[in-house]
Amino acid sequence: MTSRNIVSKIIGLIIAIGFLTIILLPIVFVAATSLKIPLEIRTSGAIFPQGGITFENWVKAFRNVPLTKYLFNSTVVAISSTLITLLIAIPTIYTVVRFKTGGAVLPSLILGTYVMPPIVVTVPIFAIVKTLELQDKLVGLILIHSMMNIPLAFWLLDSYIRNIPVELEHAAWVDGYSKFDTLVKIVYPLIKPGVLSTGVVCLIMSWNEFLFALILTYSDASKTFPIGISQYIGEHGMQFGEMSAAALAGIIPIYILVFIFSKNLVEGLGRSGLKG
Amino acid sequence: MASVELRNVWKIYKGDVEAVKNVSWKCEDREFFSILGPSGCGKSSSLRMIAGLEEITKGEIIFNDRVVNHLRPKERNVAMVFENWALYPNLSVYENIAFPLRARNMPKNIIDEKVKAAARFLDLEGILHKNAQRLSGGEMQRVSIGRAIVREPDVLIMDEPISHLDASLRARMREELKTQVSRLGVTTLYITHDQVESMAMADRIAVMNQGEIQQIGTPLEIYHHPYTEFVAGFIGEPPANFVDVEVFVEKEKHFIKCSAFSFELNKFWSKQFDSKRENRIRMGVRPEDIGISFEATENCCGLLVDFVEIQGDRTIITLKVGDQLFLSEVLGDIRPETGQTIYVKFNQDNIHFFSLEDGKNLFFDAEMKS
Repeated sequence: MTSRNIVSKIIGLIIAIGFLTIILLPIVFVAATSLKIPLEIRTSGAIFPQGGITFENWVKAFRNVPLTKYLFNSTVVAISSTLITLLIAIPTIYTVVRFKTGGAVLPSLILGTYVMPPIVVTVPIFAIVKTLELQDKLVGLILIHSMMNIPLAFWLLDSYIRNIPVELEHAAWVDGYSKFDTLVKIVYPLIKPGVLSTGVVCLIMSWNEFLFALILTYSDASKTFPIGISQYIGEHGMQFGEMSAAALAGIIPIYILVFIFSKNLVEGLGRSGLKG
Repeated sequence: MASVELRNVWKIYKGDVEAVKNVSWKCEDREFFSILGPSGCGKSSSLRMIAGLEEITKGEIIFNDRVVNHLRPKERNVAMVFENWALYPNLSVYENIAFPLRARNMPKNIIDEKVKAAARFLDLEGILHKNAQRLSGGEMQRVSIGRAIVREPDVLIMDEPISHLDASLRARMREELKTQVSRLGVTTLYITHDQVESMAMADRIAVMNQGEIQQIGTPLEIYHHPYTEFVAGFIGEPPANFVDVEVFVEKEKHFIKCSAFSFELNKFWSKQFDSKRENRIRMGVRPEDIGISFEATENCCGLLVDFVEIQGDRTIITLKVGDQLFLSEVLGDIRPETGQTIYVKFNQDNIHFFSLEDGKNLFFDAEMKS
């Protein structure tokens, strides 16, 4: 290895460490805060605990707020909405790519709903959900999250479908399969990596979603984890320690998920050109 | 088994792109029929309409006596071998071959029997459990044929099945394909842009250009009696030479004249030009029908050698004809020098005259009769 190579490697490493520090610092801060004595949180600005470590915040976080229930709700909503999203998005993008369903209009309409800020539609969505009597129910939130994620899944899956040689599908038709069977037996196995990474992204989007969860849920039976976090502000005052513990409890499952599928995710997002 | 007939078939794509224009032909039962033409000539559109992958804009496609226009691909009982073979990459060789049988919900033991029989036929027994992605080009080729023949189709369609292979393998596969298909005795439509493949394998060839049929005939008919200038230029390697010439009569003798040479026509052609008075026409002659000598003889034309390509068994001589170039193919021991003047004589049994207006062979009927 030449010295130039070493220098460029070191510079790269420094930049990477710099980025990682900026990205990870808030999380480290949250983790450290969750272990601090409550009094210290209010008085000291230091990142790491100065007066010893305590699990008091963790215990209280679960005792004062039904966090377990919220995490359970979030899990149900995220998994169900992701499944519905994929079930609708896969056939949709397939027909749009292969049979030009909807011409140029349908894809741009779908993209349009994706780039629009969600807050624009909060009032109509609230009205629709109320009319259907689905407010404060998990089903309502599941449907809204699916609706929100379909455009995203649509664009993430696009390149996977496009990369399949069309002859494969023609071969399957000639061999005696219907268009639907071809999608299930030939196309689906080939885009499976894309479906996996799209699914993980949808799961994360639903898990973190705050706005619609806030306006559509009011009781503990249907509140999700991000709404749960906001519960630590209010009747008990600003409980930074408990909030940090709860936040950490909520992001750990997502970190594990991303870690397991990281290879898929990097490849999937890289291919879709939808980085960052 | 089935015959395949196209009756006045058109394919017009969006934006009035006419891919196939009023094409009619009939491929008899068990015939090896090749559609030959350059890319974009409409041959792929034709076969995709026959397979049912694309709608027919106008006209009828008939299998035996049955119009199949509105049948879906699976109802036509055609099998297809694709240019890139289109093997299902997530399946093994066995599963690829079994795929069309599974689509028909056949019982497992019959599927197994048929797959193994096809594998034996194509010498694939050793690789049945290999993944389809891990095969060599030749193996993929054979698997795709296996998948096509395993369900005993009425019509086997092959779309450039060997054009992705390298040259030496291609030569071997030509022979192998022809043997396999004739052993099967299935009606075969073979689409290619490579005239060598068509000539070597087909019973009959339909030459297409720009969506139109140029000529349908046996390989030898097409080679020796091209119906249009396009066919004469497309078939044969090196390609035929063309030059605009004038016909004139002097003392009851017919002569061909262009800026670089003139020669007297033989009796056959004199008779033809007597009955059909054409003045300005285009002459076509194949490289092997230009004989050369180093000394002037009777009725020969002196031409300048522009380039000499030595190929061992034969020599390709490029000759200057006015501002055009002619290729002549002679035996390998004849090696003129560049810049030398040599004397050529056209083999008048194998020259053709085409109309300057529509490129048609002016004396096609007379050629076929002689």
